[in-house]
Amino acid sequence: MTSRIHARALTRTFGPGTGVSDLDLDVDAGQIHALVGLNGAGKSTLMRLLLGMLRPDRGTVRIDGRELPHAPWARVGHLVEHPFAYGELDARTNLVLAARLHGVPAKVAGTVVDRAMTELGVERYANVRVRRLSTGNRQRIGLAAALQHRPDVIVVDEPTNALDPAGVILFREALLRRAAAGAGVLVSSHHLDEVARVADRISVINAGRLIGTLDPHGIDLERAFFALVHRDDQRQATR
Amino acid sequence: MSRLGTALVVEARKAAAAHVTVATTAFLVLGVAAIATGMTVAARSGNPQVVAKLGPTAGIGGWDGLTAIALQVTAAGGVLAFGVVLSWLVGREFADATVTNLFALPVPRTTIILAKLCVYLLWTVGVAAALVVVIGLVGWPLGLGPPGAGLAESLGRLVALTLLSALIATPAAWAATIGRGILPGIATTVAIIAVAQIMAVAGTGAWFPFTAPALWAIAPGSVSAGQLTLVLVVPGVFGLLTLHAWAVLQLDR
Repeated sequence: MTSRIHARALTRTFGPGTGVSDLDLDVDAGQIHALVGLNGAGKSTLMRLLLGMLRPDRGTVRIDGRELPHAPWARVGHLVEHPFAYGELDARTNLVLAARLHGVPAKVAGTVVDRAMTELGVERYANVRVRRLSTGNRQRIGLAAALQHRPDVIVVDEPTNALDPAGVILFREALLRRAAAGAGVLVSSHHLDEVARVADRISVINAGRLIGTLDPHGIDLERAFFALVHRDDQRQATR
Repeated sequence: MSRLGTALVVEARKAAAAHVTVATTAFLVLGVAAIATGMTVAARSGNPQVVAKLGPTAGIGGWDGLTAIALQVTAAGGVLAFGVVLSWLVGREFADATVTNLFALPVPRTTIILAKLCVYLLWTVGVAAALVVVIGLVGWPLGLGPPGAGLAESLGRLVALTLLSALIATPAAWAATIGRGILPGIATTVAIIAVAQIMAVAGTGAWFPFTAPALWAIAPGSVSAGQLTLVLVVPGVFGLLTLHAWAVLQLDR
């Protein structure tokens, strides 16, 4: 199976117990791989390393077979921390500019954007300046910016933050469609129930290391998650 | 379209929609025109305070007097206005946290920052042109008489001063990048203005690139061509430093 994201021995530390260390990760084509962990576990650092926002102290990252920093970035879509949403521009202009920066030709950018706005349910805000939108609708614009150019690799950090239930469903369906079309998706979340609905694989990160996986079809994900984290904390404490 | 072309379109759209660029353009162009007009009228009516403040410029009169005052005001306020806008163009990506969206793109970050600097320079050319037009418009009803032979040269110097003031504000882009925000850029701009004043008072200003444009605009004979050319070192050095800072940029703080 094609590996969309392939990271080996990835290490970047900011001090004792922070960052990520010796981390291996694979996200295959057509797979939604969820990353769950407590605050400060290293989820955002890992995503920043995969997207070239941080350089690793050690280790390598390959995106669709090409090692960073020479990844095929036009085929990558991401939303990490802040959505592509410039307050002075209206929603449609934001999305057109995001599409252009992702390599979408000018003559088809309008069609691509219209399709994405419909998919994420933000058509009615097309001509509204983004600074006037709610946080949830800004997040929808950011998700549309990440998904609209049909990327093969999708990295989204806490994507359902601030989304209303309707937005969560629209995003979930969009993500499932992208994965069905062959995209590899890495999604981080605090919401175990939410990731269980979409993920093919759930990895648990704690203190900067992947410490195990959860069964997306398991009965009590929360209990299983805390058992893994607790066991890892105890193992670290006795070292 | 090339990657630079795409980045130019994106950055131009962002700058054109921003209140900061629109307000600063209005503030600088209308402010210079209003002050120049007010001081011209006051000097003509013999207001002793204005005459004392203007010094030898008060006695010039006519179109040359108006442009001489406009040059003085632009020399004082131009660098601050340009530094503020450049700090915002660069620093807002960090202040608004939108910089994460400028990673993992087929358009390299060095191309994006180059586009920002190009858009900034294009904007300053527009400001210079607007200044000339507005000075012409406000001068007409003042009844300054027929334009003299030196008017074209004075207006040319106003354009050159505006562009040189924009160029010596480029350290603001580097400071906004290194400091990850708008305020470090503005603080650097204020420091440039303060140091330029000190060097002017110290009498070595003509050799100091941050002081030379204003000295040349107000008294062209006091600055040599070599001293004026030295000004280009500032955008050259700080432009390259800014490109390098964006090339190696990491979101590690």
